Amino acid sequence: MEAGSSLTPRRNALPGRPAETNLADILERVLDKGIVIAGDIQINLLDIELLTIKLRILIASVDRAREMGIDWWESDSTLRSSSGPPEVAGGDASDRKRLERENRELRERLERIERQIGVGDQS
Amino acid sequence: MSGLEEWARARAPELLARAEEEAVAALRQALIEATVGGRPAAPKPAPSREPRRDQAEGHALWAYAVTRAGQALSGAPAGVDPGAPVERIVHGGLAVLASRVPLAEFGEDPLRENLNRLDWLERVARAHETVLEQALADGPIVPLRLCTIYSNEDGIRTMLDREEEHLTGTLDRLAGRQEWGVKLLLDPDTLARAARERSPEIAGLEEERSGRSGGGAYMIGRKVDRRLAELTHQLATEVAEDVHARLEDCTEDSVLNPPQNRELSGYEGEMLLNGAYLVESSRTEELRDVLTRLEERHSAFGARLELTGPWPPYNFASRLAPA
Repeated sequence: MEAGSSLTPRRNALPGRPAETNLADILERVLDKGIVIAGDIQINLLDIELLTIKLRILIASVDRAREMGIDWWESDSTLRSSSGPPEVAGGDASDRKRLERENRELRERLERIERQIGVGDQS
Repeated sequence: MSGLEEWARARAPELLARAEEEAVAALRQALIEATVGGRPAAPKPAPSREPRRDQAEGHALWAYAVTRAGQALSGAPAGVDPGAPVERIVHGGLAVLASRVPLAEFGEDPLRENLNRLDWLERVARAHETVLEQALADGPIVPLRLCTIYSNEDGIRTMLDREEEHLTGTLDRLAGRQEWGVKLLLDPDTLARAARERSPEIAGLEEERSGRSGGGAYMIGRKVDRRLAELTHQLATEVAEDVHARLEDCTEDSVLNPPQNRELSGYEGEMLLNGAYLVESSRTEELRDVLTRLEERHSAFGARLELTGPWPPYNFASRLAPA
């Protein structure tokens, strides 16, 4: 293994990084994955409180990725059957989503501007 | 640990704002009650749910994983409650790894609160993971999700009776296979540069722009930016697709997960692939070689591949469960 390669098991993490396993790696697994078997104490990890944490942990990066138009993990199930992953590039659905978001943002900006200059719908 | 702290610090303003909102709401409620009905009645019990009688005190069992009955636990890892070691509860052909936890901390209501304390969540998540990793060294395991808790051993035995066929089948399919994590990180600037260099179209536009000035040059500049963003994205997609396709060739199954939060994970660059791959134990060297070659092949795009594992098969245990 050449020096500086990142292809090392996580126990000998990258140079300059703590040898500790990345917390994001652990949380994405222990909170979201693993077999779900009903215990006697019912804690549904989808409870709203924990969901907020999960969202804050997981979604921050997802939003960033969506801004870039990357949302292929949402169609994971379809990936298995096809030859490759990512139907990332400008699929119809992601185009539409992007346009819808852009549309919404523009409307909001327009409303703000109208309010500032005192014209338009005052409701 | 530091990742989480930094993250929490970054979130502090948002949390303060929320706390302030809640405080204002509580104050408003108190004022209304004081105005309308004099002193408010006795403080409301926070949760409307009645705590179960047997949970007020005592202990429960936190379950980590299911193994075959014959698979001894070579280490003696500490549990999520540091005072209680992990034990094996053997029943029929299976065993559950579990440790005692105090209900004062792990009962339904305290648990709900504790899960939202980041330091608590981190400590427990790491402890859970450590137990699973130690068990994994001894043979196949079915990892259980965080917070699988039973009142006592009888609860665990009942569960094993109910799920035996399912769990045994899953363990059989997991034997001899390992879960590895692969992340593809790209440096956005290097990628954009590569996209620009590879595109005759951009070069043409740049040349056109250099011959103009004012509004014309501006419009072409806008077009260059837009087109470059598209090309960069396209290139990123090609690299991610190539990496995933090669990995699929040498692995049994794969799960693609969303890219991770940058603040929490501490990664630099854009995470374009965050995949879990199920690999035959005999092929892990091949996986490593494939990744090394892929990293070389895409080095011009600032590609970095990170391999982690072997992980407890979190991503595959339920996919491999018999129907």
